[in-house]
Order: sequence, then structure tokens, then C-alpha cells
Amino acid sequence: MKKAVLYINQFFGQIGGEDKADCKTIIREGLVGPALLLQQHLRDTEITHTIICGDNYISSNENEALSLILEFLKDKKTDIFFAGPAFNAGRYGVACGLVCKRVNENLGISAVTSMNEENPGVELFRKYVYILKGGRSAADMRNNIKKMAELGTKLISGVKLDSAEKEGYFGRGLRHQIFTDPPVLSADRAVDMLISKLYGMSFRTELPISKVEMIPIAPAIKDMSKATVALITSGGIVPADNPDHIQSASATKWGKYNISGMDSLHSGDFKTIHAGYDPAAANEDPNRVLPLDVMRKYEKEGRIGRLYDYYYATVGTGTTQGEAARMGREIAQDLLTAGVNAAIVTST
Amino acid sequence: MRLEIGNFYTKDILFGNKTEYRNGVLTINKAEALGVVNKDDHIKEADIIIAKPGDEVRIVPVKEAVEARCKISGASIFPGVTGELTEAGTGRTHALKGASILVVGKHWGGFQDGLVDMSGPGALYSHFSKLLNICLVADTDEDFEAREQQKKNHVLRWAGMRLAEYIGKTLLNMDPEELEIYEMHPVTKRQMEVQKLPGVIYVMQLQSQMEASGYNALVYGWDSNKMLPTFMHPNEVLDGAIVSGSFMPSSSKFSTYDHVNNPTIKRLYREHGKTINFLGVIVTNLNVNLEQKTRSALVVARIAKSLGADGAIVAEEGYGNPDTDFIDCIVKLEDLGIKVVGITNECTGRDGSSQSLMTLHEKADAVVSTGNVSELIKLPPMKTIIGEIGALARDGLSGGWEGCVNPDGSLIMENNAMFCGDGISGFSIKTVVEY
Repeated sequence: MKKAVLYINQFFGQIGGEDKADCKTIIREGLVGPALLLQQHLRDTEITHTIICGDNYISSNENEALSLILEFLKDKKTDIFFAGPAFNAGRYGVACGLVCKRVNENLGISAVTSMNEENPGVELFRKYVYILKGGRSAADMRNNIKKMAELGTKLISGVKLDSAEKEGYFGRGLRHQIFTDPPVLSADRAVDMLISKLYGMSFRTELPISKVEMIPIAPAIKDMSKATVALITSGGIVPADNPDHIQSASATKWGKYNISGMDSLHSGDFKTIHAGYDPAAANEDPNRVLPLDVMRKYEKEGRIGRLYDYYYATVGTGTTQGEAARMGREIAQDLLTAGVNAAIVTST
Repeated sequence: MRLEIGNFYTKDILFGNKTEYRNGVLTINKAEALGVVNKDDHIKEADIIIAKPGDEVRIVPVKEAVEARCKISGASIFPGVTGELTEAGTGRTHALKGASILVVGKHWGGFQDGLVDMSGPGALYSHFSKLLNICLVADTDEDFEAREQQKKNHVLRWAGMRLAEYIGKTLLNMDPEELEIYEMHPVTKRQMEVQKLPGVIYVMQLQSQMEASGYNALVYGWDSNKMLPTFMHPNEVLDGAIVSGSFMPSSSKFSTYDHVNNPTIKRLYREHGKTINFLGVIVTNLNVNLEQKTRSALVVARIAKSLGADGAIVAEEGYGNPDTDFIDCIVKLEDLGIKVVGITNECTGRDGSSQSLMTLHEKADAVVSTGNVSELIKLPPMKTIIGEIGALARDGLSGGWEGCVNPDGSLIMENNAMFCGDGISGFSIKTVVEY
């Protein structure tokens, strides 16, 4: 008999609704809520425990919640870890993705969850976790649970999975070659595709290329000597204690740090937490990534009106386009509110 | 322009006293055939070995594949390369089908050379596994490149073409079992019903990345690096106007065999007059200089537009740097209102997580993907090796590395080294999917 564990939130764990979203992690033996349904679809696999955690609790106490779960699972010899389904519930989806990712990374246990395509958890965690394409609401519970059971069973048995499309999970960005079955020559596939394209019939590319959203460049500033300029970096330059706990990769957070009265960034006071490049040069002189020294010089020379009192920082490695866009919008809004006219964005 | 290709379907190949083709059996007088090979003093040693589908045979390093042919007119089958420069694509050509001449290094391989398995899991990866292969296994005195990763393989490749001509000549005065007719009228002189169909052009981006001579694909003997894109009749390609080069990881290549058997051209021919008006072929290149890339893409797009093309298939003989030419060419064609389908392989890394092509563009919305060059492939040992298995690990074959061949002969390699395995010419039965 194989062993499974299911993670659910306070609502599906029958603790309560939004008012109980601060509920701490609870580990129950046996089946709670959706676990009953999931168990019905599992053969030769027993759900030994149901883990329940409030959506708000895990989002603001990530480390505590995760350590408890990981510590508990450490010696349980769990074969498969399930979470959700989370449908279109945003915080729940993010929690499911996060727990699955960490359980898989830290303990090597295969993990499966399910969410709706609009759930922000999809873009954040699809690269790391099998996230089945789920419905928008709990009305799809039966169907989503059944698919989770099917994929979980496959993962336990070790059979090679089919493509993301055939299995029904969100692609993890891993492209591999396969033999067409039945075999069709690339010549025939190309000519058939061209005929479809020429005759206005539907066709499917074998190499999907996502549309790049082009952002128009802001109009030029006519007189820089009167402009307030801000510094922004995706190069991970933060105060040495990284007060906002910005992640070293796949960042979801940005920080805003006071630089008023400073002429340059001192090594030791500031450092990079970016895991995607050799930090030696940046740590030796953080101005190399965030050029405060040069900006102060420009300020003194009157080439810019003023350098804004705060700079903004995040980490741009492994960061999803969706997260980067969100952080960009938030920072831009903050700059607008502060009356900043221009920004210089540096990378690594 | 009318080309007749008379096909002779080989069922078996033997050695004997006389080189002849009879009742589907090709007999080769080995001594005489080797005499043709040895006409070049630079050949140090040579042998001919037959490898058949299902044999427990691994062939490596494979440098080139050529189909045995002759022109009834007596003209050269590779005009401007092995003989006088005449026009390819007219008259009658006789071809030995179901067989190919594989040019194999006796010892030394290089970046551009590949592997063919005649049975087992490796046989799925190359269309040459299904052919009776006349393996010319030889070594040369080209010591200047013996230990170079990049090899021109000149002596061996030319010997392969001579052998193809020698064997092809046995078909000269015989009646073919099948006659294929390839005939297409000048673009502006076609029947109304044909003119009404969408015009389609086939764009061949030939491998031409080397600045030095001797490595790039040849068009009527001319280095494709040194040319501007040119319009050709498809018959010319099917009749030996293009000879493969000796650069680019093996799986991405078009062998000379692939050119004269190009499945994309053949399929476009079959559609001609039914669903499309097949206008012809634009032969272009994959140079590394940005201005040369842009110039070629501009000229391709303008030739296609001037010919009235509504659609195009663009095939890229390579990956990496040439991806820029591939995408640029597609974008420039689409910008002129020509609907494009691209044929290419991908380089997504061993774990599949890397970006498929060096550059991407949303206008490349219809692409046939023929493989991932960096996919890892494990192969069991084979009873017999034709060539030298150590070359895969030792000589910088793309797809091989030091230690990739185990002492028992089993191996692990990247798809890169599968000889013409990604079938950009149209032979691939592979695709790439997301996991």
C-alpha cells in the first residue's frame, strides 16, 4: 500500500471561512473534506493524513508553516503529496503551489495540485509542480479530484508521463522530442500546415511562441536639470540584512530603501542577494550595480534636478514575466505618487 | 522544365565479379569500385562494407550520404562539382532507390559527423537506418585536419560522390521499374486553374556559416556563403544542383542524398495544381555576419513577393546562430503578406528548459519542430562497428564527449550526433512537446 498526504485550506478543512484564514497548520490523521473523495479514486494508495492551514497564516508565516509540514513528513515515507484543488482561489492556489514545490524539492516526494488557469499560483509554480488544469469553482471538485488521483497514480507507478497537454497539467516549460504516432514526415506536417494557413483553416504550430507585450517608451524629458530621477535595480542590491526577505531567485517581492544623505553605497552596508551572477564585483562596490555615486555627481553638476530619496530593488533571475510586470506596476505607481519624473533601471 | 527520374528498387546488395544491377540485386565488384575511390592519391586506405536494415551494426563517424545515380545524357550527376558544369533538372536520371552510399571515417570524425544504427532503439532516429547502406570506410592523408574538430572531409566526400557515379552508371542502359515525372511550366505560363491557386515558394536556408572555403553547401559547385539568394526550379535540387557541406552538428544537416530526395519538394509537387501553385525554390544561406543575414532575408522576401507567392515554407539547415536568419526570413516574408511555415529543430537543452531558438518572433506562428538537438539518447552496444566508435567520444562530434562511450560499447549521446536525424529536409518523424 502506497501512502499519500493531502494539503487543504481552512475552508475545505471545515475549520471556517475567511474569518478563520489565520488558522495555524493542523495535521489530522486520516481523511478530512476533499480527502474522502480523493481516497475513493485512489487504488492501492492510502491517504494517511490531511494537512489543513489557513490561507492568510501560510502567506504571512511561510517559514513556520513549511517547516512544520516538512518536519512532519520527514519520516512518514509518503509516496505522493496532493494539494487542493484550489480552483480560482488566489491565496489558496499560491499556498498549494508553494507547499507542493517545497515538499518536492526538500523531500523528493512527487506533488500534484489543481487550479484554474486564472489562479496566480499557476504562473508562480507551474515550472516546479504538476498543476492540473482545474475549474473555476468547487462545482468542479469531483472532476478535478479525479484528475489529481489519476496523475498521482501515474507518478507513484513511475510510468513516463505524456506531454503536459495530454496529461492535462500546465506545461512546465520543459520541451522534449518525441516520435509522432502514427509517424508523419515533417515535410507532410509542414505542407499540411501551410495549406491550412493559406486557406484560413485552423492550424497548430509545433513551436508555440508567446506574444510579446510591447510597452511604449515614455516620452522623453525635455529638461533633465529639473527632473527628479529614481534608481531601480533588478540586480538584487539591498541593505546587508535584506530586511524585506527578497528572494534570491524567482522573486515575488521588491524593496524600497532610503538613500537620502548618502553619496555612495558602501560595501558591507549593501550587498547583492541575486543568485544569478557572481556577486564578487557587486559586493566589493555595490555602486557598480546601483550607481548612486554617479547619480550624486550628476545631481551636484546640475545634470539632473534631484535624485529621489529612495531606490527600489528586486531580483531578476527566474522571476516570471507575470511577477515582474506586477512588481513593475506597483513600483511605477509608487514613483508617480511621489512625483518622480524619470527612472533608471539597472540589471546585473 | 521536365525531369524524369527512373527508379530501381534495390532489394539486396552483394559483392561479385561484375558491378551490375539485376532483378533488384546490386552486385559490386569491390576491387573495381575501390579503384574508383583510390583515384585520389590522398586516400590512404579504403574499404566498402554493406550495412542492412536490422543488422546489429553501428556506423560512425558518418560524414555524408549520396544516392547512386546517372544521367542518361552522360552529364555529371553533380554538375560543377564532380564534372562539367551543366544544367541539372532536365532529361532523364536513373537512381538506385532503397540504398545510399554512406561516407564513413575509418578513424577520424569531427564536429559535423554523425552516427547511424541499423537496428535497435537508435535506428528510429535516422532515415538511413531503413536503407541498404554501401559504407565507404576510408582514411586520408589530410593530416592538417585529422585532429581538428572542424573538418572539410573533402577527399572522403568527393570519393563518395565518385562511388555514387560509378555504381549509378550500372543503371545507364536499363529500364527503370518506375518513372517519376517532374514537370512544371514557367511561373507566368501556367494554366488559369493553376494560377488561381495560392502560390507557394520553398526557401532552403543552406548551411554556409564558415568563412573559409571547403565547408559550406555548394550550389552548382559555388560556395553558398558567397552568393545572394537565388530562384531555382525544384527539379534542379532533385537532380544534383546542391551538394551538402561539412559543417554544423549532424542532426541538423541535409545530406546530398536528402537534397535529391527532398520530401518537402516532392510533397509540394504533389499538391501543385490541386491545392497550391508551386512556384519553385529560393536557395539562400546562413551566413554569420548580420548585414549578410539581413541582405539574404530581404532578397528572399522580395523574390518571393515578385513571383507572386502567397505562402512559403522556410527550412533552416542548422541551429543556434542561424536561428536569427530563420526568424528574420520568416518575419520579412510575413511582413510582405506571405504566409509562412517554418521547419526547424530546437535546442532546449538536456533538461528541456532552454529557449527553443536563439531568437523568437510572434510572426513565426506556424513552425514544424523536428527534434531537440540536446536530447540525451542511450544506446545499447552493437555487435559490429563500421568506422571507429571511439571517434564519437574523442573527436569533438557534436553530441559526443569524452567518456560518452562505455567499455562495453553502450553509449550516451546527444541527439546532435544522429546523422541527419532531425530531418529538416522533411524526413523527420519527430516533434517536440512540452512537459
